[in-house]
Parts: sequence; C-alpha cells; structure tokens
Amino acid sequence: MNEPAAGCEFVAEPPADLATPEFSRLYAENSRAIYYLALRFLGDPQKAEDATHDVFLKAFRKLDQFRGEASLRTWLYRIAINHCQNLRQGWHDRHVFSNADDAVWENTTAGTDSPLRVLEIKELGQRIQKTLDGLPDEYRLLLLLVADEELSYEQVGALVGQSPDAVRGKLHRARKTFAALFKKTA
Amino acid sequence: MKQQTKLSEEQQQQQRAAEQQTQKQSAREFANAEEMLRYDAAHTTVPPGIAQRLRKSTGQTSAPPPRSWWRNLLGR
Repeated sequence: MNEPAAGCEFVAEPPADLATPEFSRLYAENSRAIYYLALRFLGDPQKAEDATHDVFLKAFRKLDQFRGEASLRTWLYRIAINHCQNLRQGWHDRHVFSNADDAVWENTTAGTDSPLRVLEIKELGQRIQKTLDGLPDEYRLLLLLVADEELSYEQVGALVGQSPDAVRGKLHRARKTFAALFKKTA
Repeated sequence: MKQQTKLSEEQQQQQRAAEQQTQKQSAREFANAEEMLRYDAAHTTVPPGIAQRLRKSTGQTSAPPPRSWWRNLLGR
C-alpha cells in the first residue's frame, strides 16, 4: 500500500580522503545536500557534478575566511546558490518564466491540496525535474532549501533574502504550484 | 493440451497478481513537495568522480594558510 515517505533526510556520504581531515568531514557531511541542490536547480547531472566540485573547491580555498556567523551548511549553500545562479544566468533567455505564467499556476486549484501520489518510484526523479523546471527560480530554490531539514525558516530566509514570514507565505504558494505542475507530469 | 492451457492461465493470473503487488509496493504518497524532494534526495547518489576531482584540485591548490597569531588574539 501507499507508505508515507517519512524519515528521508540528507544522509552523509562516506568520508572521502581529501586534502585535510576537516575538509574530508565537510565534504562527507554536505556533499549530498549540495549536489542535490545543484542537480535539481540546474537540471543536468554533468553540470551539477561540475558545480559541486567548484563549490567545494571554493570552500576549500576560503575556509579560513569562514567566520562562523552561519553554519557551515548555510555557508556552503550560499556559495552553491551564487554559483548555480551565475550558471543559469547564461541560459536565462531560454528559460524565462513570466509573471503571467506564474498567475496561471497560482490560480490552479484543482486537487492541489491532496497528497502527491506516485506509482513508479523510478520515474520520480524525472517528474520532479520536469516540475521544478516549470517553476519560477524563486519557488524552485525555496522548495529545495526547505526540503533540507537542517535549515530553519530563518536560515532559508537569510539565504533567499526574505524574512521567515515571507518564506512561509511563499512556501505555501510554491507547494501549490508544485502540486499543480506535478500532476500534469503524470 | 487443455491442462497446459489451464496451467498457463494460472501462471498468467499469478504473474498479474505479482505485477499488481509490485505496483502497490512502489506506490507512495507524499504530503507535500518538500517531503517528496527529501525522499528524492535520500535516493540520489553523489557521483564518486567529484571526490576524485577534488583530490586532484586541492592537491594543486595550496591549503589555506593557518590563521595568524594576531587574528586569533583579536578574534578576527
């Protein structure tokens, strides 16, 4: 029968023997989260692999500048978001999502409050990618960050430049839009 | 001949039942988008090539210099 998907979290990767023990630990604890963000934000496994490498290389070079004001995860996310947004900037013309389109999705009410059901897990990744590709960048990023249980609404807000209340409000609309789009991918 | 046909019908039924069971097992419900993304993330493998490339890149890059004594002293 249908099972709830509880207990799914960003599990640490096995430690990689990298330049320093601290950097190996940083990579082991955060590589899955950063790779997943890059993968679903860029929608291309090869570009996500390159981006994840570049993000961790930047982090390695700037580790001494980390001031400890935010968590390491948040700091890495900030580097990753800047990097991915810069990469996407080049393709912007091909991926324009107008406000008019946004309104169409937000006005879609049919069945968006019901649970999201999938029959074939193997197709899940493709359907998620297709759905995320149809979302405005702001909603895509918000959902990907909120999906990380290690981040609070305050931390997500700081990463996207919004107040925690604004994050909650936008998250509601992002969920609704995601659900409407996801059902169209079946 | 008839027995063979009956047997194959039974086999077909068993196969159909097994397929239905598989489909039921693979069906999942997610309360919202984040839950689905969390599940997807948990089933996403980080390509091992990234760590290999990082090993090379960080070998070529000098390790970050240790904090100077006066930075430690001033907490900057």
